[in-house]
Amino acid sequence: MGNREAVSKLDKWIKSWGKKPPKKRAAFVYGPPGTGKTAAVQALATEKGYDLLEINASDSRTKNRIEEVLGKAAGQTVTVFGRPRMILLDEMEGVSGQKDRGGITAISNVIKSTRIPIVLVATTVEENMENKFRPLRSKATLIEFQPVPFGEVYKSLKRIAEENGVKVHPEVLDTLASRSQGDLRSAINDLETVAKGKTEVDPRDIEWMGERDRQDYTPNIINRIFSARSLWEARQTISQSMIPYEDLFDWIYENLPLVIDEPGERLQALETLAKADVYQKRARSSNYRLLKYMFNLMTGGVAFSRTKSQGLGLMKQVHAAIQRNGMPLSNFQTTETRDGVMIKPIRWLGRDKWGALNGELRGIGASWTYGQNFWVLPYFREPQTKWRYITTYHSRRKMKAVAAKLAVKTHTSTQEAVTETLPLLRIIYNADQENAEKIDAWLGLEDKEQKYLSG
Amino acid sequence: MSNMSGGMWAEKYRPQTLNDMINQTEIVSRLKMFVQEKNLPHLLFVGPAGVGKTTSILALARDLYGPGYRNFTLELNASDERGIDVIREKVKNFARTAAIASPVSFKILIMDEADSLTSAAQHALRRTMEIYTRTCRFCLIGNYSENIIDPIQSRCSIFRFSSLDEKDMKTYIMNIVMREQIDIIEEGFDAVYQASGGDLRKATNLLQAAAATKDVIDDVSIYEVLGKVSPERVRAMIQQSLKGDFLEAREILRELLIDQGLAPDDIIRMVYSELMRNTVLSEQWKVKLSDKVGEVDYRLTQGARPEIQLSTLLAHLALAGEEMK
Repeated sequence: MGNREAVSKLDKWIKSWGKKPPKKRAAFVYGPPGTGKTAAVQALATEKGYDLLEINASDSRTKNRIEEVLGKAAGQTVTVFGRPRMILLDEMEGVSGQKDRGGITAISNVIKSTRIPIVLVATTVEENMENKFRPLRSKATLIEFQPVPFGEVYKSLKRIAEENGVKVHPEVLDTLASRSQGDLRSAINDLETVAKGKTEVDPRDIEWMGERDRQDYTPNIINRIFSARSLWEARQTISQSMIPYEDLFDWIYENLPLVIDEPGERLQALETLAKADVYQKRARSSNYRLLKYMFNLMTGGVAFSRTKSQGLGLMKQVHAAIQRNGMPLSNFQTTETRDGVMIKPIRWLGRDKWGALNGELRGIGASWTYGQNFWVLPYFREPQTKWRYITTYHSRRKMKAVAAKLAVKTHTSTQEAVTETLPLLRIIYNADQENAEKIDAWLGLEDKEQKYLSG
Repeated sequence: MSNMSGGMWAEKYRPQTLNDMINQTEIVSRLKMFVQEKNLPHLLFVGPAGVGKTTSILALARDLYGPGYRNFTLELNASDERGIDVIREKVKNFARTAAIASPVSFKILIMDEADSLTSAAQHALRRTMEIYTRTCRFCLIGNYSENIIDPIQSRCSIFRFSSLDEKDMKTYIMNIVMREQIDIIEEGFDAVYQASGGDLRKATNLLQAAAATKDVIDDVSIYEVLGKVSPERVRAMIQQSLKGDFLEAREILRELLIDQGLAPDDIIRMVYSELMRNTVLSEQWKVKLSDKVGEVDYRLTQGARPEIQLSTLLAHLALAGEEMK
């Protein structure tokens, strides 16, 4: 069922384990949820007579734990009954990236010396593979699972229904298959839910289901967090979503003051979020079980800080932006849609006016949709901090380079040069040409660094 | 000399020998003794910024080794080096060879901001100090001796540098004023002294920046210069918060942290001093806010994320502003 290419690649890699380990001692299986990644590993292991040791990577993600559990297992090539062994490291997406490389590095070290096959499984997409799992990429055979095609989901559902003696209307199969978006497991779960205790399922039985929240669409998840009514409901969002909790945290932080704008409530919500951040740090440096407190605080803790806050109405923001540009509201059609507020100019604004308004609307998080010719201001804003780091990357690099040179000459740290000396140097530098030239020579500044100082 | 300093007065007028130093007279006279005896212990210089700690040790080195002193000294800044291993490696390479063609048998290693090292790193440093003690003297520099572990303190002669008083600063500034032929009125000098808080480097840079833009320096020209540097943006951030515009205040915070690359603890320091000086805030709020600033300060030492933690202060200020309306 589905992903034949990926399965055969995995099969080939397992076969490459002869007497000696192959060049790539691990396989990294990744892809969206419900595409049969873990199932494929389990099936192939059984078929080839391996004893599969399954380790949940997200439970044992600290460096020491991984070395302990995994390192031990990777040394024992056969079971006491003489069956060859294989390790399955599941839920790799739960191993945190960036900040504690420790876990990833520990896994990467075990792979280097393992004498038995190790399969890593992560529910993630190609984009995440680049950063988070970079240290593992070169050491493992990469195997990507794709969303299961509609036809395959449909056939699987039909087969399962038949095997269980339930008559399911084709229209129901069609609906379940198409809304699964390639997630076979969720489609099967849905089928099980609607067919429970029935011998026949017709379209009326699925009317109540409505459109499922897409699990990978962050604004939906953020909305669920902010509007949660119980702590359980709020926390569920983290365990159900494919988005790393660090990213969810950033989204919550970004949008918190937009949603919770009553000063007292905003303060309470922010303080709770800041405490969640403290728990995150504690979890990283001592024990990951502390993460659960972080999750409670960042979801429910934030959501329940809101009682009176109305939030900054998007419509209000849009109208204000238009009026700031001195344009009549009647020139625009503004509508609330599923993704946010749509702002459509009714007549051609002219390049200059369009540009000015575009700048203004971008400032509050809207973007222009080419071809459709309208702006959409999403209900939730993407975290701006990361974006800011990216857009200021080049100027910050030049700043650091100048500061490093200045630090040596003035016997301070680079940081002190940035904070204390650089702002004043800039004034002196730009006051007259002669000063600038002296400073260029003194610090040995390159052209682009000179431009940075004078800019 | 002016070519070497690139026209930066703080470097141009940095005292070159111990005799040039105008302040810290007791410390200087003891350092001169070391030069006479051609021997010195490990040194620990502590005190606020811009009072002559680094200048003293550089002057001592010049007095001791002569013009070629650079060959026998190594300057490291602990906060710029990537970890204790890198430091150890550099120290090892520098210290393992004896000083040849020098009047004394040892070299001098200057470690600035040594108090920023973690205590584990300091213990490693202590071992290194012991291993190379015959060929190398360490001069550790920091703001607080309390941040230096006891075993290191007990191996060093500790020198406590004090802030410059107004008289010393005036002597120093007036020397520059005369040599550079600039016009400064009394109010201008007072503003320099106030704004620098006894930090000579800062005072000199302020003076030069003001002189570069104005013909006559008065208090206004000093404040104008100050207005263009970071503390002014910090003030703007606080104003926006008090006005209740949290989003705008958060934008400024991001500008400070990201665009300008300020260290979070520098921002905290500036926020704190702005708050304490603020004339709008009630005394009760000042007390409450010191507690909040202190909590954020502590959390950052524990590795919490700066922007999240600092933004709570902005929310506190917004509430303060609301309540005081």
